[in-house]
This record gives sequence, C-alpha cells and structure tokens, in this order.
Amino acid sequence: MQMPEPSQAILSQRDALAQGLRKIVGKDWVISDDAQRRPYQCDGITAYMAMPLLVVLPGCAEEVQAVLRFCHEKGVKIVPRGSGTSLSGGALPLEDGVLLVTSRLCNVLAVDEHNRVARVQPGVPNIKITEAVSHLGLCYMPDPSSQLISTIGGNVAENAGGVHCLKYGVTANHILGIQAVLMTGEMVELGGAYLGAAEGELDLMGVLTGSEGLLAVVTEIAVRLEPVPEVARVISMSFPSVEEACACVGAIIGAGIIPAGLEFMDRKVLDAVSVLIKEKFDDRTAALLLCELDGTAVEVDALVGVVSDVARGQGAIEIKVSTTEEERQRIWSSRKLAFSAIGKLCPDYYCTDGTIPRNKLPEVLNKMADMSRKYGLDYANCFHAGDGNLHPIIMYDAAKPGDLEKAEEFGADVLIACVDAGGVLSGEHGIGVEKRDLMTHQFTEIDLQQQQMVKCAFDPKDLLNPGKMFPTLCRCAEFGRMHVHNGNLRFADIPRF
Amino acid sequence: MTDTQTIAAMRPASTQDVADILMDAARKGEPLAVRGNGTRTGLGNPVRATRVLELGGLNAIDFYDPDDLVIRAGVGVTLDEVEQLLAQKGQYLPFEPPRYAGLYGTDSARCTLGGAVATALSGPRRILTGAARDFVLGVEGVNGQGDVFKAGGRTMKNVTGYDLSKLVTGSNGTLAALTTVTIKVLPAPRAEVTLVLPATSVEEDVALFARMRALPLGIGGLARRVNAAGVCEVLVRVEGSVPGVAGNQQILNSLLATRGPMQVLEQAESQSLWAGVRELTCLHARPDELVWRVNLPATTMPAFVEQARKAGCINRFFVDWAGGVVFSTMRGVQPEVDTLRYRKMAEQAGARATILRAPDAVLTQFGAFPPVSAGVAALAARTRAAFDPAGILNPGRMTVQA
Ligand SMILES: Cc1cc2nc3c(=O)[nH]c(=O)nc-3n(C[C@H](O)[C@H](O)[C@H](O)COP(=O)(O)OP(=O)(O)OC[C@H]3O[C@@H](n4cnc5c(N)ncnc54)[C@H](O)[C@@H]3O)c2cc1C
Ligand SMILES: Cc1cc2nc3c(=O)[nH]c(=O)nc-3n(C[C@H](O)[C@H](O)[C@H](O)COP(=O)(O)OP(=O)(O)OC[C@H]3O[C@@H](n4cnc5c(N)ncnc54)[C@H](O)[C@@H]3O)c2cc1C
Repeated sequence: MQMPEPSQAILSQRDALAQGLRKIVGKDWVISDDAQRRPYQCDGITAYMAMPLLVVLPGCAEEVQAVLRFCHEKGVKIVPRGSGTSLSGGALPLEDGVLLVTSRLCNVLAVDEHNRVARVQPGVPNIKITEAVSHLGLCYMPDPSSQLISTIGGNVAENAGGVHCLKYGVTANHILGIQAVLMTGEMVELGGAYLGAAEGELDLMGVLTGSEGLLAVVTEIAVRLEPVPEVARVISMSFPSVEEACACVGAIIGAGIIPAGLEFMDRKVLDAVSVLIKEKFDDRTAALLLCELDGTAVEVDALVGVVSDVARGQGAIEIKVSTTEEERQRIWSSRKLAFSAIGKLCPDYYCTDGTIPRNKLPEVLNKMADMSRKYGLDYANCFHAGDGNLHPIIMYDAAKPGDLEKAEEFGADVLIACVDAGGVLSGEHGIGVEKRDLMTHQFTEIDLQQQQMVKCAFDPKDLLNPGKMFPTLCRCAEFGRMHVHNGNLRFADIPRF
Repeated sequence: MTDTQTIAAMRPASTQDVADILMDAARKGEPLAVRGNGTRTGLGNPVRATRVLELGGLNAIDFYDPDDLVIRAGVGVTLDEVEQLLAQKGQYLPFEPPRYAGLYGTDSARCTLGGAVATALSGPRRILTGAARDFVLGVEGVNGQGDVFKAGGRTMKNVTGYDLSKLVTGSNGTLAALTTVTIKVLPAPRAEVTLVLPATSVEEDVALFARMRALPLGIGGLARRVNAAGVCEVLVRVEGSVPGVAGNQQILNSLLATRGPMQVLEQAESQSLWAGVRELTCLHARPDELVWRVNLPATTMPAFVEQARKAGCINRFFVDWAGGVVFSTMRGVQPEVDTLRYRKMAEQAGARATILRAPDAVLTQFGAFPPVSAGVAALAARTRAAFDPAGILNPGRMTVQA
C-alpha cells in the first residue's frame, strides 16, 4: 500500500514535537517509546501497519484544539483514532504524523430524556450510550457489530451501519449535532441537541459524517435516542439454494415489510458456526436468512405470519421462529459467531463490504464463485442482505507468499463487480486506504475533484488524515482554476477569463 | 438586483444543456437564479441574479424499482407525479415533502422533486421516519463551473467518499444545479389513524407528547393546532400494519382516557387532516402576515411561545413534531422590529427561527435562515466556493451580506 512519503524534516523534530505536545496534554498523555506505540500501528486491518510518529491522548476538547493548532503551525499531520476497529485502514498511522486518540474523551455528558437526546464525547464506546439510557426505556439505535468497542466518534467518522440499520437507518440518521475541531484548531458547532437544530443551514454535519477523519476531529456528538421496541422476534429460514434465499429477500421487502434486520449466511458459514453452537443445520440447506421483526407484540405477531408465508412461497425448507428472548439470542448467536467461526477455519481472512441493489445479489454472488476459482482461494458469505451490503470473507494464509496479494485482488474484483452491478465500493466500512485506489472505478475525475474541493474548504493544507480515501493527494491551489473536461476544454474558442 | 420573477427563464432539457449554460455563466461571471418550477421562490432570500435557470424541464423518471425501494428521476418531475407512481405500488416518500404552494400562492401541482431536495423541507412524519436528508441516496448536478458531477448512489447503504448528497440537500440551489436525484422510498403504512383530543395548556400538551413518544407506538405525527371552529386540539397520528395500529390505538386510548372526548379519524380523513398540518393551512396565515418556523427543544417550547405571544411576535401558531417546531404568524405591521425581537427570543431559547414568508425587504435585511456563528458561516462560505467559486448559483439565497 503506497502512502505519502514521510517528511524527513518532521521525523527529525520528533523530540521537540513530543515536548510541545506534552505541554498541552500533560507528560503522561504523549506516547513516544516504541513498545507503547506498537499497539497503535494498525487498526482493524492488520495487513497495513505503520509506526505513528507520536501518540497523543487529549483529555478535553480544548486540548484537542490546542494539539491541532500546534500541529497545524508545525505542518505536522494528524490521524484521528477512536478504538481502531476500522476495517478500511482509516486509522492507519502515518510515520510522520501524530495519532490523536480519543480514548480519554469517554463521557456521556448529558441525557435529555424528554427531548430524547444524549450528548456524548467521541471516545464513548457505542454500547455505553444505550447502557446509559436503558433505564429510561430508550436506546441508541445504530448497532455496528463492533459496538462493544468501537467509539461513537469512529462511528460518526465512518457513518457506521449495523444489523438494525435496515429499518432504523445508519449513524448519519441519528446524529443531531456535532462539535468538531478543524485542523487550524478552530471549533465549530453544527446542529444541536434537538431534532431540527440544523434546519436552514448548509448540512456540514451531513458531510462531516462519514468523512473518515479527513475533514475535522469530532469532539462532541448529540445523538437521537429511541424507545426500545417492546418485543423483537427472529425468524430463521433455510433455503435449498442461494438464489431462492436472495429471491426471498426481495419478496419480503416487496410485501411491504421492512424487517429490523435481514441477514444472509451461506453453507460454509453455517458449517463453521455449527461446530461452535453445537447445532446441526439441515443437509439440504444452502443458505439461511435471519429476519428480525420488532415493534409491539400484536404487530410483530402479525408480521411473523406474513414473513413465514412469504418464505414458504419462496421455497424455504425450514422456518423457525423465536418465541422467547433466549431463543432469539440463540438463533442470533450463529450470525454473531460467524466471523470468529470462519477465523478458526483459516489462518487469515479478508472481508470487504461492497453494496449492491438487492436484486443483483444472485448475479454478484455467482461472480464471486468464479473469482474464487480464478484465485484458488476459498470464501464464505455472511452479510446484511436487507440492504444489499455484502461481506465476502476471503480466506488466505499470510504466511504463504503471494496469498495476501491474491486475497486483495479477489476483494478488489468483488468490489469492481459491485460497482458494475450499480452498487458502491463500501456500504459501511469506509474507503480508508483499503479501497482508496478503486475510487476511480466508481467516480469520474470530476466527481473526485468535487469531493477533494470540499476537503480543501475544511483542511487546505491537507494535514488531516492525508493519504486516505482519495487515490491522489489534494492539490487545493490548482483546483480553483478553470479546468479541462475529460481532456477537452468545451467552448475552446471562448476566452477563459 | 433584478426582479427574477419577470425575467424569461432558460429551461434546459438535458444535463448537458445545464452544464453549457453554467459554464457560459461562469465565464461571464453572471449570477443565475436557480429554480425547479419556481413554486417556492418565496422560501429563502431574494436572489441577486440577472438570469433564471429553470430545471423543471428535466422531468424524466430514470427508473423506479419498487422491490429495491428506490427511484431515480430528473429534478423536474413533480412531487405529485412521483407520489402517484409510488402509490400504485403501495409506497411513499416517507419525509412527506410539504409543497407550501398555499403559502406562496403558487400551483402545488408544479412543485418538483428537485425542489423538495433543494429545500430539504420535511413534513410532520419526521419524528418517526426522518427528514428529506435521510432519504436522498444520490444526486447528479452541475457545479458553478459547469462540471457535471455525481455523488452517492442508489444503494441503501453507502459510505463511498464524502456524502455530498447530504451536503446539496437543503443547499437551496447554492452549491449546484441538481439534475437528477435518487431517493429511497418505503412501503406506505397499511393503516393510519388519527386521534383528535381537546388541548389543554401548551405545557401539559407537550408533557403528554413526551409520554406518548417514550413508547414505541409508531406515532408518525403529534401536533397541536386551532381548528376551524377556533377550538384548540391535539392530533395524534398512529401508523403501521392493520393489527399493529389497532393494538397501539388501544394503548393510547387508555393513556388518553382522562383527556375528555376523543375523535378518531381514519385513512383518507386522517390524511387530509395531516395535509393541512404539513401545508400549514391550519395556520390560516393572512396574506399580510409573516410566516415563521421555529425549531427548538420541545421542552423549551411552551415558555418560548408564551413569551413571544406576550411580546406580540406570535399572532397565531401551531405546534408540530411533538413540540419541536412552532409555526407562527407575525402581524405585518412593524415587521422589521418584530423580526429582530423574535429572532433574539429564539436565540435566547437556543432555537432556530426561519422566516418562511415575508416581504423581500425583511428577507434581504435579516435573512430567511437563522444566523450561524462566524466560524460556521466562514466554513459554509468556503464550502460553497468549493462548488461555485465565482458565486453564480443563487447568490444571497441563504446568506445576507453583513
Ligand atoms: C469485529 C468488527 C465488526 C464490525 N462491524 C461493523 C458493523 O457492523 N458496521 C460497521 O459499520 N462497521 C463495523 N466495523 C468497522 C468499525 O468498527 C467501524 O468503522 C467503527 O465505526 C470504527 O470505530 P472506531 O472507534 O474503532 O474508529 P477507528 O477505527 O479508530 O477510526 C475509524 C476512522 O474514524 C476516524 N476517527 C475516529 N475518531 C474520530 C473523531 N473523533 N473525529 C474524527 N475522525 C475520527 C479515524 O481517523 C478513522 O478514519 C466492524 C469492525 C470490527 C473489527
Ligand atoms: C388554552 C388556549 C390555547 C391556545 N392555543 C393556541 C394555539 O395553539 N395556536 C394559536 O394560534 N392560538 C392559540 N390560542 C389563542 C387563540 O386561538 C387566539 O384567540 C387566536 O389565535 C386568535 O388570533 P387573532 O387575534 O389573530 O384572530 P381573531 O381576530 O380572534 O380572529 C380572526 C378570524 O380568524 C379566525 N381564526 C383565528 N385564529 C384562527 C386559527 N388558528 N385557525 C382558524 N381560524 C382562526 C377567527 O375565527 C376569525 O374568523 C389559544 C388560546 C387558549 C385560551
């Protein structure tokens, strides 16, 4: 993975920079020795590693401001980091950059029960928000599988999804206000702690959400709280073929039902998890769907009936419906354990998250089988079927020379197939460094330039998390000028200025 | 400034034509008033423009894929057409885009989908299903340099690159001339019931809203208004599957039993009632009155309304979003003075007060949209320049010159 060349001038100032930063955050909160920096070398993608210049852990928003102001003055790059669970290398350190870690900003600042809003610091793990409000019968809806660890700041930066985002939406739909610090150290408050607080202003909060730490460091977030649904029941439906399972996904949604979650697991995943959960799946099963329905008891009971009928109509072999909370948890455990179960089958695996229109599922899944043969690597499928968000798990062995490269190429081919099917490179994990070089497959040069111009509006010196998301660095000075369209200047005879 | 109402509009029929027009305008540094069919030019500040770019001619539906809950269409397709098309498949636009044609004296049948995205107006259902910004999956548009760009996509989830679709949603034509939009749609609820009960004090009603909203009852509308007979009442809309609504209605019946006689409106009756809320017809704004929208925390709403009414800044009002938004009228007697006072009150309450309708002089002086901090204003200006460096797209629409 090609990253921007580290600046020798910055590397040589390491000690002086550490000293300057210690003055801001206190001496214990700047990590400079090798042993302590090592755990920060990578995020959720362990294939990409770099030793950060320094690791800084600010204790409040004002310290974040001061750190950024200091680094801006010195021309030092910043990489923000929450818990480092990113699966796209968004939090991959830069050798000449300061890693700004939000772990100490971990407080739920206020819970406003009546307006149903919580104000939280960015380092709060996602699950802690729901824990802080569950006694009120409320919860924070977006639930990435990493929710025990991943921070709300990281969720905002990646616009994280989760199993329940089919019905309830992704992070962006649950954020009412953001306080953020620009690279210059300037603080901005966008939106506020109530629904509609951002009405009538440019949706800068919307563009900050999902910006992967390239536009600003988020220092406080106002999130929407929702009442916990009265009941949730899950239906497990097994199918003799992948096609029938995929068709059922469309049929459920076509029947006017938006399940709380709708997940797909193929046979390989089922075999892997059946060892762990000590449960056998019917031999004829090629794919399994888990469909969660929630709401009031009456409503859910009615929907369970409709979905079961739809599944039968689509050729389901076996339909199991949870009747108690324990059963629901047990049925879900297969999905929850899927990735670790696959992990036990192979030394390493690689998982991307291309997203496609739902009706393209069979087509793209078939292509994957071809690719697997081409690269000679095994794979399994376990994904958010309801929103067409694929998670192919490509199995490889990093110890075998060339295997990682093959896995990466396989992954890239899947993503390209997704884009070609009318989909996108990433549904929830983000671009980071992992999918960066594929951006040109989805976007034209002008599309990308328009995005990078926005980057210039926030961070003209390109110091905040550079080298991520875009295949080329920003050239802010050049962008402002009139440019050539696909090699041809239209109206070439017209004087430009 | 030229009165953009009277200038003949350029009405391109393709994205390429839009690009050519904008490139030409950029070259000449010629500001353009951008609009759909011009049904809502009253929203926002008057634009300082010499020519009008009307996008209503981009009115083809690219595709509608009901099983995938998505539609992509030219910005000039009318909201009526989109909603009728979706209704044939039992689907709808969940953010319930208001037309405000009554407010501006325009033809509601001509309101465009592009206008709904550009203004990001959202109806009473926002408390349940979300706002316009939550349903825009992708856009194609032309920036102020004549570049055609696209952002987002058509899938339900997408974190590929910056979410420029959100950024242009609600940008009121100041970032780009949008040409197509891709919108997520949902199955319309099979059942809809509205409970109408007598209002009490604003405080008590807001507390009641909070109690109801704490329960997962699928409440897609909570408003308080004065009805045609001059009686103040509370409206509760429950939506979902047929058995679900019946069940939730029972729960609400017992919660609201002490509230006195309750009226139950179903389906069409309920829908037309909420259309009145959505379109602000229940405000009965007189032609000479200013119309305001104030967004604020529901809990601070009662005190705010009380203060503003005493001060004469609110003449009539009604409350939507379970108290989170107040729509009000202001007598047009001394609009400059009252506008300044009302904005001040809103600021003190941590609220955002938008002028939905006012004489041009008021809008030009105070701005339709509430002021933001200097830092945010500067960031917004830089962001606008990233799309439109020459400032030719709807200049002044969202901002007033200091
Ligand atoms: C087992 C596992 C399961 C997962 N499941 C899901 C899932 O279901 N859905 C999903 O969407 N993702 C999932 N992920 C991916 C990951 O958890 C999310 O992207 C998460 O949002 C990252 O949060 P984090 O705190 O770990 O951020 P990090 O990994 O530390 O950082 C992620 C990005 O956010 C930026 N960042 C972090 N904090 C800030 C801040 N305060 N301000 C500005 N930028 C910031 C970083 O620079 C980086 O670009 C999963 C990951 C793992 C390992
Ligand atoms: C407990 C209580 C609660 C109240 N809550 C509200 C409230 O939520 N919203 C609010 O605006 N006022 C509310 N009022 C105030 C009351 O409704 C006002 O008298 C009304 O707004 C009159 O305004 P006006 O002086 O402009 O109109 P008037 O001069 O009294 O009436 C002018 C004409 O307009 C009609 N009219 C006035 N207001 C309305 C309306 N809102 N809808 C339809 N026709 C109307 C009248 O019938 C009359 O024909 C409340 C009063 C009480 C006592």
